[in-house]
Amino acid sequence: MRYSRPRRQLLWLLLLCSLCAGAAGCGDLPRDPDGTLARVRSGTLRVGVVENHPWASIAEGAPRGVEVELIREFAAELNARPEWIAGGEQRHMEALEAGELDLVIGGLTTHSPWVTKVGVTQPYFESRAVVGVRPGDATPSRLARAPVLVRRGTATAERVESADGTPVRVDNLFRLREAGAETLPVAAEDWELEARGYTLTGIELHTSEHIIATPPGENGFLARLERFLFDRRARVREMLKREAAPAEETP
Amino acid sequence: MKVRAPYEPPEEKRAQSRRAARLEWITLGFLASIIAVVGFTAGSSQAMRTAWIEDMLSLVPPVAFLVAARVRKRAPDVRFPYGYRRAVTIAYLVAAVALAFFGAYLLVESAIALIRREHPTIGMIEIFGRQIWLGWLMIAALLYSAVPPVILGYMKLPLARDLHAKVLQADADMSKADWKTAAAGILGIAGVALGYWWADAAAAGVISLDIVKDGFTHLRRAANDIMDERPQTVLEDEPEDLPDRLRAKLKELIWVRDADVRLREEGDVFTGEVYVVPADGSDILSGVEEVRRIANDLDWRIYDVAVTPVRSLS
Repeated sequence: MRYSRPRRQLLWLLLLCSLCAGAAGCGDLPRDPDGTLARVRSGTLRVGVVENHPWASIAEGAPRGVEVELIREFAAELNARPEWIAGGEQRHMEALEAGELDLVIGGLTTHSPWVTKVGVTQPYFESRAVVGVRPGDATPSRLARAPVLVRRGTATAERVESADGTPVRVDNLFRLREAGAETLPVAAEDWELEARGYTLTGIELHTSEHIIATPPGENGFLARLERFLFDRRARVREMLKREAAPAEETP
Repeated sequence: MKVRAPYEPPEEKRAQSRRAARLEWITLGFLASIIAVVGFTAGSSQAMRTAWIEDMLSLVPPVAFLVAARVRKRAPDVRFPYGYRRAVTIAYLVAAVALAFFGAYLLVESAIALIRREHPTIGMIEIFGRQIWLGWLMIAALLYSAVPPVILGYMKLPLARDLHAKVLQADADMSKADWKTAAAGILGIAGVALGYWWADAAAAGVISLDIVKDGFTHLRRAANDIMDERPQTVLEDEPEDLPDRLRAKLKELIWVRDADVRLREEGDVFTGEVYVVPADGSDILSGVEEVRRIANDLDWRIYDVAVTPVRSLS
């Protein structure tokens, strides 16, 4: 009799879990407290776009970019009409929190301080910032204070310094005005360098895991989006290279 | 100063102490795995985070017990002439404070989450190339977190009673109740699955209420111990009948006209003073020795009572 009580308690617990396991089989769990998925289906999908080429950008009201393409497909699956709203990250995130937007896209990563305040997908793409050299040039394994081209106004300069390089800040990494600088190694994202035909060295500067933001707590909608992204992960790299190659950086 | 003689528990109690220590080491091992599992799945669920902190808090009583068990064995020395038995009370106090204040903190956190109407986001996770909702994993983790502590808790409880060990009893009580923590956490996540955003914070609140209640109960009892409260039973916290039995036994002696005792707890042992009114002409020195022997033999928990012959008890 000594062990009857704990056995009974554990059996109740097991029963509770079996109910949950059964519920897990139900297709429509988890549900949205605010019914986002149901509202968006055959309705409007309000997307906040943060300007971040080639992930997302709105030029003259025409949105384009890798995440824009993905969301267009997502909306089509849900039979929804996407509505693209331009703006800065802060404003979009506040709108997302308040339920005024359904998604925020624009090259967001897990480093964003907003990830704890809104819903975010699992990372659907990992991007590495590395040092690349022109094809045919030697691929160094260490920088040894060598000069490396970095985009002006980005954190890449600091990362190059941490990797023992000397950052040279320029406005355009791949169309240089400064004479003689074309031979220097370039610090950029791996897909960007590949699109330009550069050879990647093993010198890694930074890793970013890309996500898309959703309204907090709308777990059904989030699950649907995550399933969509999961199926398309393999295509993202090619889409990025296509977007990155022809376009020029806007200074 | 005259240093106390060391306390010698009977062999049976020593064996039980060793068994209790073994159970506590096993508990620590399981807790480490539970903390890893629950921590991995916790994510943004308030209930899971509360359960995780409670699991970390569960480390305090076993560690306190093991440390105190080592320290109290030290023989009294010139610096601590009364010995080291009080280490057990300190351990009990530390455990109680940890529970009480962390529990209160968690309770406030859950209340804030509810007031702010925070909707917990629980997404998908990739396992072996497939996606599953993280909430189901959390439920599985919570189920795992309940099983070893409940079983170990029920094993430790009789030992706590036999060893008069309050820290062990506090630990066993907390472990036994872990099934409630797991059930609350599971209901919280199930609620979120059904679209009730408040279920998670509510479950966290319920769990932390339980911790606070435990914490303040033990805080009160630890404080009573330090205030030299009369001996209480471990499980029911009721007055021990030992002082009455000792007094009755002493009054049976022929040469004792009247007797009374004053006992207090010192960690896990009882000590104190015995006052005897000897009949005229009795051999007081032998009488005092006889009383000490009777007291020590009466119960294994009695340690080094001071016998004072007096003319009258009033």
